[in-house]
Amino acid sequence: MPGAKERMREKKMKNQPRSVQYSSRGQGSQASGWVRGHQAEGHRYSQDLPKHITASFFAGARAAEVSVMLKAVSKPTGSCQVFTALPKHMRRRAMSHNTHRLPLRLRDAALRLAERSQRGPEKPPQAKSRSRRARRRHTHLLLEFNRRQRRSRWLETHIWHAKRFHMQNSWSYRLPHTPTAKSYRASYRAMDTHTLLQDLSYFCCLELQGPEEQILRALSQLTSKQTGPTFAASVCLSGARVGRLLLYRAGQYPHGALGPVEFLWRPRAPECTHRQLWIWIHPALKQDVLPELQAVCQCCESVCEVSASSSAAAVDELRNRKRKCTADAAELPAKRLLGDGTRAVGDPVRWESADTHITISDLTMEIVRFRLIGPLAHLVLTDTLHAANEEALRGVCVDADLHQQQRDVFTQLRGVCSTAELPAGCVLGLTVSDPRLTLPQRRGKTVPDLQHISTESSHARDLTLRGVPAHCSQSALWDTSVRDHVTDSRLSEQELNRVRSDVLVPGSAVCVSGVCAVPLLLLHQPGRVCGQERLRWGSGWDLLLPKGWAMAFWVPLVYRGVRVGGLHMSVKHAQFMAQPHFPHDYPDCPAGERCQSEQEAELLEKFKRRPPSKRTNYVKHGCVAPFRCPWQQLVDEWAELVELGGETQSRAGPVQFTVLRSVSVLRQLSAWCSSASAVTPAAAAALHQEQQGALLWVRLRLLGKGRPELHAAVCVPTTSDLQQLTDGQSSGPQEPRHPDPQPESEGSRSVVSHCSRRTLGWVQQGDFSLSSGRGEALAFISLSGLLQMMIQHQRSLVLLRNPSSLQYRYAHVYIDS
Amino acid sequence: MVRFKSRYLLCELCVSEPSSLHLFEDKVVYQALRGAVNRAHGDYGAAIFNITLGVLVKYLNAHTGVVLIRCRKAHYRLVWSSLPFITFLENRGQKVRCFFNCIHVGGTIRTSQKFLIKYNRQQLQRMLLDCKTDAEKQDVRKAILSCSLNLIKGEETDGSDDDGDEEDT
Repeated sequence: MPGAKERMREKKMKNQPRSVQYSSRGQGSQASGWVRGHQAEGHRYSQDLPKHITASFFAGARAAEVSVMLKAVSKPTGSCQVFTALPKHMRRRAMSHNTHRLPLRLRDAALRLAERSQRGPEKPPQAKSRSRRARRRHTHLLLEFNRRQRRSRWLETHIWHAKRFHMQNSWSYRLPHTPTAKSYRASYRAMDTHTLLQDLSYFCCLELQGPEEQILRALSQLTSKQTGPTFAASVCLSGARVGRLLLYRAGQYPHGALGPVEFLWRPRAPECTHRQLWIWIHPALKQDVLPELQAVCQCCESVCEVSASSSAAAVDELRNRKRKCTADAAELPAKRLLGDGTRAVGDPVRWESADTHITISDLTMEIVRFRLIGPLAHLVLTDTLHAANEEALRGVCVDADLHQQQRDVFTQLRGVCSTAELPAGCVLGLTVSDPRLTLPQRRGKTVPDLQHISTESSHARDLTLRGVPAHCSQSALWDTSVRDHVTDSRLSEQELNRVRSDVLVPGSAVCVSGVCAVPLLLLHQPGRVCGQERLRWGSGWDLLLPKGWAMAFWVPLVYRGVRVGGLHMSVKHAQFMAQPHFPHDYPDCPAGERCQSEQEAELLEKFKRRPPSKRTNYVKHGCVAPFRCPWQQLVDEWAELVELGGETQSRAGPVQFTVLRSVSVLRQLSAWCSSASAVTPAAAAALHQEQQGALLWVRLRLLGKGRPELHAAVCVPTTSDLQQLTDGQSSGPQEPRHPDPQPESEGSRSVVSHCSRRTLGWVQQGDFSLSSGRGEALAFISLSGLLQMMIQHQRSLVLLRNPSSLQYRYAHVYIDS
Repeated sequence: MVRFKSRYLLCELCVSEPSSLHLFEDKVVYQALRGAVNRAHGDYGAAIFNITLGVLVKYLNAHTGVVLIRCRKAHYRLVWSSLPFITFLENRGQKVRCFFNCIHVGGTIRTSQKFLIKYNRQQLQRMLLDCKTDAEKQDVRKAILSCSLNLIKGEETDGSDDDGDEEDT
């Protein structure tokens, strides 16, 4: 890029000739000498010499040279015509700014020159930006928001969250992370005793439609019965329950894990084998799961249809509108982007298969999902939602009898004491009226009505024992046409406010005629299902709505006194339920690996940000995995150690590490953990042989002091450590400090035997647990290591050491199954 | 500040076979000049090429064989005296026999350009006298006319040129 100096020079030298020579580079004249760069009108000589050199050729060449020289001589460089037109004896020193010193004939030109230099360089005309008020009008803001969503998609409740939360970009969405107010303990209390609300619309929904056997046949390749119920579990198949399972790559169990998904079948229509299945996946999984599904269902042909008019119109607006020309925005009223508006218009949304007749549709951002966690979630829902009356049902094709039954079930819900009492995963379909119409005048907190509970106990007992009856899980939300109709027929806030202002008594219920009811689905979340302590902690309800209605339901829910949580709270929720949180705690899935790499980069960057003298010296603390845990190396080394013990025969080769998820094996291990004396060496050897390269998800509870952190090392205690524990003397041994720099050792450093106690694994989630009042950690440990430890010591006690500390703490191992 | 004064040597390259003109490049001429000065005047001569505003080939026209060499005022006689010692130019292994004919020494580029205009006009008129065929004569006459017309055009536009035209880059 030419700088200012070069440009000035070029301007001065533009009349000077350049060398004329034949060069091999293909241009007749190459720059050299005075001037570089392009000449505006070049003397282009032909590249080749003429065959016979004649006088005419020379004459032409000389004539050309003469003309070039004339031009160079007549137009002097860098001087303006006014002053050079004067002979030398009439030029004066101050004639540039004092034009009276010039003869009359040149004075005008000189004046013009002076003016031009006063004016300064000409800038291209800038559009004047409007006043702040004009810039912040609603339509222009909408357009601005539509533009901003192109990079990271916004949830529908984004603006509400953006005012109250720290936001972060994850998985191409802009998601709330933590509230700006200090509310960790308050959020925990809400999860424990009242209700916590989260917006989970970023979960992607994939819909499969087709004949039942075909779908089941295709999907059975992706799951395994050993990890729990599959897609064909009878309770879930009828549509009465939500199921949860782990997907694997086709036929590759136990390797090739993809990640956890939630699925829901639509209740059977009578005399029809056509079924609909919704699979809810985390956005980090989508790029892995979608191709697998397509391969398994043989859906290769994509149906590129024009997507719904609102999103198409919005995308066109985005493309045709320039940022500053908002003044001419009068033609199309700016519409808020709904659904997945950032998807390009031509992207395929549906895939069909000719042989299996299965259709896969991508329903990302078509359905809004709210999660309410806590024992009083059902009360909040019954307060906020009111079943629609008969005339509003006409727009939504719902059977009146069914609606009545669903309504009854919903009213029975009030009599239940706590959300945890209901059977896991029950589904209730419902059609409700607009909750904004019954918005209370001011915010309150829902409290359980004890009298109501005692009177309704008999009905509620039915509900808690048997759950929702199967036919009540039907809902009009499954039909695309109904969803679109309901989205379009939503009253805008402006109209609603106008109606509200017309009401005589402020705060009373608003009656709007001709308004459509909203079909929705309520899914029960069971909370903690494994283990023996605090069962059903963290249960709640999921609310599924058609797109466009998020804020209409969000504000009434918030007005009932729920606390709102972000991504941080969902991690803590999973932690307190002792469940692995996707994608952080799934190291064998590709999404988990990506998450680990990102986390490693983040931690490393944080580490490097501190000055060297203030950093934790991981070498001295003997920590081999402060940023990223080398699972493969851990598993390999433990296999070698067990082999050295001599009881097992050597295995074929290096085995890829996997996480043990087989339900039967976990149950066996859980039994062994509780009474570690029951482990026999033969059984352990058999298990080790069978499950090679297996990692185990365990829960550790510290016996006394200590707060475990991320990547704390879980180690095997020595006999003397256990002796000291029984003597009641110490709170844990100490690790001797390692030398820094490390002494040169041949070969790679061993991960297991680096410290004085052997490493079993590392902690993935660790914190002080508010519910149990002591430190708890969730970790992955090597199966072989655990078995060997239990054989050696007959106890399931381990040592835990934080990466920045030398102190070991005692912890008990639990395997929840 | 004292002004750096230079001398511009306007030379003409004469070759026996006109077909080998394509070899002429400023680097080639520079190298030949450097070698000749080194041979003729030893280390002192070689050092002239390393100082600021030393020897540089400012302009080269391969069709007419015109070369404009710049050198410092203090050393121009050295350079001038070694010009006759250049007998050939070498470019990528090909040698061309030639000799340098210095036609003008000027203090500025402009004076050299002015002299070149006069010289070329003289050469064209001489060529007209030497022409054998009519077609050649026609071509040469055309060439002379084109030079003169430019001169007239140049004089006309001199007076009426406004500053504004100059700055529309």
